[in-house]
Amino acid sequence: MLLKTETYQHQKTLAEYCRNGKEITLPGAITERLPHYRRLVFNIVNDSLESAFPIAFKYVERVHWNEMVVDFFSNHKCTDPQVWRMPFEFYGYVVEKEFHEKYSLPWLNDLLYFEWLEVELYMMEDIQYPLYKDSENWLGKLVAVNPEHKLIKLKYPIHKMNPKKAKENKGDHFLLLFRQKDSGKVQFVGLSTLYVFILENIFIGTKKLDEILNDVLYFFGINDMELLQKNTHSFLTDLKSKGFVLGIYK
Amino acid sequence: MQPQVGIGFRKEFAAEFMEGQSIKPDFIELAPENWMKIGGYWKKVLNELAGQYPITSHGLSLSIGSPEGLDMEFLKEVKKFLIEYDVKVYSEHLSFSKCDNAHLYDLLPIPFTEDAVNHVSERIRQAQDFLGRQIAIENVSYYTPVAAEMAEAEFISSIVEKSGCQLLLDVNNVYVNAFNHQYNAKEFIGSLPLEHVAYIHMAGHTQVSDDLIIDTHGENIIDPVYELFEWVVQRINPVPVLLERDFNIPELTQLNNELNSLRAIMGKHSQKAVIASGKA
Ligand SMILES: [Fe+2]
Repeated sequence: MLLKTETYQHQKTLAEYCRNGKEITLPGAITERLPHYRRLVFNIVNDSLESAFPIAFKYVERVHWNEMVVDFFSNHKCTDPQVWRMPFEFYGYVVEKEFHEKYSLPWLNDLLYFEWLEVELYMMEDIQYPLYKDSENWLGKLVAVNPEHKLIKLKYPIHKMNPKKAKENKGDHFLLLFRQKDSGKVQFVGLSTLYVFILENIFIGTKKLDEILNDVLYFFGINDMELLQKNTHSFLTDLKSKGFVLGIYK
Repeated sequence: MQPQVGIGFRKEFAAEFMEGQSIKPDFIELAPENWMKIGGYWKKVLNELAGQYPITSHGLSLSIGSPEGLDMEFLKEVKKFLIEYDVKVYSEHLSFSKCDNAHLYDLLPIPFTEDAVNHVSERIRQAQDFLGRQIAIENVSYYTPVAAEMAEAEFISSIVEKSGCQLLLDVNNVYVNAFNHQYNAKEFIGSLPLEHVAYIHMAGHTQVSDDLIIDTHGENIIDPVYELFEWVVQRINPVPVLLERDFNIPELTQLNNELNSLRAIMGKHSQKAVIASGKA
């Protein structure tokens, strides 16, 4: 580094002031104009977080939200050069600092995670689709699905109801999120454990649907194969109409 | 050569822009940070844009003035983007937006010191070597100097000379700085190495008090900035000119009027230059 310690110190002082807002003295600086830098920098971070997490922003008390943002930006070094990815670092920070306990918001981590995944799926790089054939004749075939998806488990069903209600419904809530090819929009569908099992096996991509359903009979202690096939067929048909199930592998 | 006048493309006006009726720029400028490593809807929009307009790009996060080393991973992604979209001009700000590896996502002023000149010039050279092209470095607006040992113009000129970079002359930034720091804008521009100007930015700003203008890119270009622009175009070779409008975005027809005003000024003087040189 060709930079003298002195110049580096001045830059560090200004940068830290922008992050934490604590008063500084800088040689040659117009002190009364420094708050503009703090304001401009802070607004960018604040606005990005608010637009990435609109539901959390709505349901976390404003004073608590502000405390989290100030704490985050003062103490966390944002590493991502792409500002739209910065909210993911905020999510990580909130989890690590256990703000959900501090503010008694048990659903907070789930909600931030869910909202972040919506952003990420919407923006992320395209993933190559498999070679597939349009078909609804899945039995005896490998089911082809949209690769741009995430399957997650939440403790609180924040995707179905407002966080205050979700708080009363703690449990295992499975959720499939995916990006529709044509519109680029992110959709999500709640799932039962049985369908999670089926989808996870479809994702592995080695078993044909009837083989997967045989496993379902065994693991879930179901007797009626005909009903299981019928229900699975409507489940997959519904996901196909939404742009998640594509058809069968070629 | 016809004047080349472009606009900084914003997602906020994408829908109307794509219809192609209300605004007709010669090229568009994108921040690579907002458009690289993406897919889905905006990638499709980007590909559509690239099919219709030449693209220039104006970076936000390289932080050429940072004390620490360059982020080579980031630069690799930028390079990919520049190649994929055949980007002719890649510019960055003469400022820092990261310190101790923490991004601030905004532009802070580098101390105008001799060692900063050396340090920044070395970083620009490194980036240029890696990218295999010159970078156009932009004079930024700033609200306070920090531990300055030299004048701003000398700081910029030395860096252009030492690093071998091009200059992105932001005429509005000069106006803003001249107002905020009480110097003469024309004298300032006159002392820059104008033969290295490769690109011009024009924008509006917001006066927040008697002695302070904030460079918001949120208003129309004001007449004194047009006048300064006209003064500049008579002193440099023809280069692409870009209108920046990031906030408080009006009807696109209004922005198109601004593009036309810029074209008219450039057109007026490019003719004169041709006649004067006897090439008519
Ligand atoms: Fe600019």
